[in-house]
Amino acid sequence: MRVTLQEALDQLEAAIHEEGELVLRALRGALGALEHQDVELADEVIAFDDEVDDTYLAIEEEIQSLLARQTPVAVDLRTVLAILHVNLHLERMADYCVTVAKLTKLVEGAPADQTLMEAFDEMGSRAEEMIRVALDSFAERNVERAESLVELDELIDRANRRAVEQVIAISGDEERREWGLRMIIVSRCLERIGDHAVDIGEQTAFLVTGEFREFTDASH
Amino acid sequence: MVTMANAETELVRMRGVDQLDLAEREGRMPPPESRDVVFDVTDLNVRYGSLPALKDVSIRVYKNFVTAFIGPSGCGKSTFIRCFNRMNDLIPIAVVEGSVRYHGEDLYGPRVDPVEVRKRIGMVFQKPNPFPKSIYDNVAFGPRVLGMTDGLDERVEKALGQAALWDEVKDRLKDSALSLSGGQQQRLCIARCLAVEPDVLLMDEPASALDPIATTRIEDLMHDLKQNYTIVIVTHNMQQAARIADMTAFFSVEISDEGKNRTGILVEYDTTPKIFTQPSDKRTEDYVTGRFG
Repeated sequence: MRVTLQEALDQLEAAIHEEGELVLRALRGALGALEHQDVELADEVIAFDDEVDDTYLAIEEEIQSLLARQTPVAVDLRTVLAILHVNLHLERMADYCVTVAKLTKLVEGAPADQTLMEAFDEMGSRAEEMIRVALDSFAERNVERAESLVELDELIDRANRRAVEQVIAISGDEERREWGLRMIIVSRCLERIGDHAVDIGEQTAFLVTGEFREFTDASH
Repeated sequence: MVTMANAETELVRMRGVDQLDLAEREGRMPPPESRDVVFDVTDLNVRYGSLPALKDVSIRVYKNFVTAFIGPSGCGKSTFIRCFNRMNDLIPIAVVEGSVRYHGEDLYGPRVDPVEVRKRIGMVFQKPNPFPKSIYDNVAFGPRVLGMTDGLDERVEKALGQAALWDEVKDRLKDSALSLSGGQQQRLCIARCLAVEPDVLLMDEPASALDPIATTRIEDLMHDLKQNYTIVIVTHNMQQAARIADMTAFFSVEISDEGKNRTGILVEYDTTPKIFTQPSDKRTEDYVTGRFG
């Protein structure tokens, strides 16, 4: 048993889950700021991204060191490679939260559309659930559960399409047009967080099976 | 600008490049099954007296590949590599059963001359073992014994060149081989094998007595030599196998009769990337990840 390697792998895995918790906090903050048009909270979310970035970098450096010193193979190598990808996906998710926060600041005081706000609430909850499922299934090495992310993603994708339609519906109203256009990006950000959660699921499957495959084909 | 009209051409172009790239990669490493088989071993058993050392090994060694045997001490990997040039014949109590076909011919057939076998299938050992003679005479030894004395100087130079030693020794060919460093001595032993124009090089832990720099030189050398030779190597160093081998066989020990009998078995044989990224057998996984052995 290579104790040093196993300890390093355990620490990396723990760091990934801490990073996941940070992303969930960023997401909740971004959604709260959007819902209540809370500019201060939006600023906090933007500043909070540094914490996610620090964790991301620490994990990245630890992986470099581990690869150089321990030369892991087989399941250990797959664990490191999967964590390398999951780390990047989580960091990207946090960046989308920052974008949502920045857009919230840009539309401060603009009249919101209630239907769309409710849609964002639903999309936000689904994104949060997807992050949890992605992280839990990774921790449990549960491929079946990881694959359930595809269905969850379909729901968030549909909500995104509905949001776009709603923006088109209100775009005749000049006062709400700018707000609507910016909200299309918010919707897109939440939808992309779902995509990254599916990508984490694919890493779980890679880790367990040794074969990388996309859960869904982008051309479909 | 990419318009819809030329987008398709663009896609075809991209796919074309992909296929070329794929073909190029396949050219470098075609699937092993499509290669010529140098050794075809079927159900090989080796006993020392009544003690079984190796049980039911079947394996194919492919041409111009480096094939590595890894496994814990006592797993029979050295016993196995010695079957490829009938070195076990030299141990009176060793009994080899099963079939070892070399280019389709039974290596243990009644009309096969073990000396001819060892000419075509050279061996390099763990410790460099040059003869206490000059550098030149070490390399010329095999050719002289076998009567290959025409153009001997060129033959010696060629062998030393192939073993990446010529530049270091060309001005001191009359010096004793024992004056060379350990790494140079090992390359001299490789040159000594190459001088008789073998087909296969067997290497039993060829770098385990060498420092990291000398080890790297031997590994680089194996990489170059496989263009012209088939190489089989036993190594304790898993990373060495991962670095140099095209195919890797993992051997393990089967303990029976309340620990009295320890028999070597072949657990898994596959391409080296497969063995070190997603081995099929749990025992291989445990060994390569350091959880056992």
